[in-house]
Amino acid sequence: MTVSSVISSVVVVGGGIAGVSTVAELRKKGYVGDLTLLSADPVPYDRPPLSKEYLAGGRDLDSIALQAPEWYVDQRISLVGGVVAVALRPDAGEVELSDGRVLTADRIVLATGGRAVRPSLGEIGSAIHVLREVGDADRLRTQLVPGARLLIVGAGLIGAEVASTARKLGAEVVLVDPLPVPLAAAVGIEVATWLHGLHADHGVGALTTTVETLLETPAGVAAQLTGEPGSREFDAVLLAVGLVPETALAEAAGLETSRGILVDAGQVTSHPSVLAVGDCARLRDHPRAEHWEAAQLDGARAAATILEAEPPPTTASWWWSDRYGLHVEGVGEMRSPDAEHQTVVRGVVGEPPFSVFTLRGERVIGAVAVDDPNAVRAARRMIDRGVDVRASDLADPGTDLRKLLRR
Amino acid sequence: MDTAKSQGIRVASVDDIPEGEGIAISSDITGTEDDIAILRDDDGTCWALNDTCTHETASLAEGWVEDGDVECPLHSSRFNLKTGKVDGLPATRDTVPHRVEVRDGEVYLFPGERP
Repeated sequence: MTVSSVISSVVVVGGGIAGVSTVAELRKKGYVGDLTLLSADPVPYDRPPLSKEYLAGGRDLDSIALQAPEWYVDQRISLVGGVVAVALRPDAGEVELSDGRVLTADRIVLATGGRAVRPSLGEIGSAIHVLREVGDADRLRTQLVPGARLLIVGAGLIGAEVASTARKLGAEVVLVDPLPVPLAAAVGIEVATWLHGLHADHGVGALTTTVETLLETPAGVAAQLTGEPGSREFDAVLLAVGLVPETALAEAAGLETSRGILVDAGQVTSHPSVLAVGDCARLRDHPRAEHWEAAQLDGARAAATILEAEPPPTTASWWWSDRYGLHVEGVGEMRSPDAEHQTVVRGVVGEPPFSVFTLRGERVIGAVAVDDPNAVRAARRMIDRGVDVRASDLADPGTDLRKLLRR
Repeated sequence: MDTAKSQGIRVASVDDIPEGEGIAISSDITGTEDDIAILRDDDGTCWALNDTCTHETASLAEGWVEDGDVECPLHSSRFNLKTGKVDGLPATRDTVPHRVEVRDGEVYLFPGERP
């Protein structure tokens, strides 16, 4: 009898993309035992729309559900919504819930996600927001009315997406970040400079500065920006300065954590019957990915580990973002040109569709595209398959990138 | 069934669709609710699916076609070219396949007929 054949119960703690992917992959790979998914929300939903279509009011909660409610029934997944886990006892295989129940399982998968960083800039109140949960988006949306003055702190992907959505809704936006060119490491300096410049093109006041204090006043929020003589008044403030992995449950249970619940390549934590996936987890000696697909693949790997099945093939990390009607995607790793690395532009930066590749020798290691998603799909396959390419072929928009893969 | 319909609608020459790519045929021509994507797999075979991804609004005709699947150009959900079955979030609903036939290098579409 193999080990996997004696696994007859799995509890997954957390209903984000990582948790839902874990249960979906377990069933897809043929697991027939008990399967429970704990979700703080009644029905697990997808988070990317919270800064985009959902925030804009174009999608409702049902339409961003990760799976329809009947899917859980069809898949024989016991979805326990509206509860959180309050204690984990790894040796006993127990998870204690906020409603007092205790669940027992052969394997426990932690998919507890993360929470938005809340810098101590003053009291967080009704006009000062973070954006992680659907409730956060609902609260922020009520304030994004035409003419409302919004301060966004942090010009990373979420901050930029909300700036775009808020402008669409008619709000006045000031966006501050200490970096003159945010996202340069993710997309390369040239694309980052152009992307950041889009804010000003769309009427956003993009400032390179920091916020020293936020003070709620009867009129809204007074924000003191570094280097300015007086404070500025806003109706709402969004703090979009990053994510803290939710590790409290794991820490209290004695699992090893360090900027995330530490896992091995099979998503197993320091306790052999507890796994961790998604934003709460960190592969030893690696940074956390914090992207949607990375969380999904974690779930697939955890399912494979539990069932002693073949893990999904490794693939270059991929992400997308949307701003001002443009679709931005990235894959792999972008590097500045140096002795080893070369930057190749296909098309013209700033005139979508275009894409930019990082080459190490004749190998693509990363790519970013604006409104040119198939360039990223091609680049991903070049990276995954280790295809040799010539810079001149990549740079020529007349070259069919698919053909470079077939050589 | 009238003759024109039983023979399908001629929508393209097969050479107009590079392997691994697709074209969208307007619902004005197909008479269906959604536009229909004619997708050519990397082995040269032609398939047809409803064009709009079941997740949001992307056109599957602009997707990446390979190994029997089309990958959505926005969020990379995959749909089986023959069955329309979705494999991979964020899309959760299958899409609709339609029958196509290639005769003398021309692609004929049979909207509403299963392949």
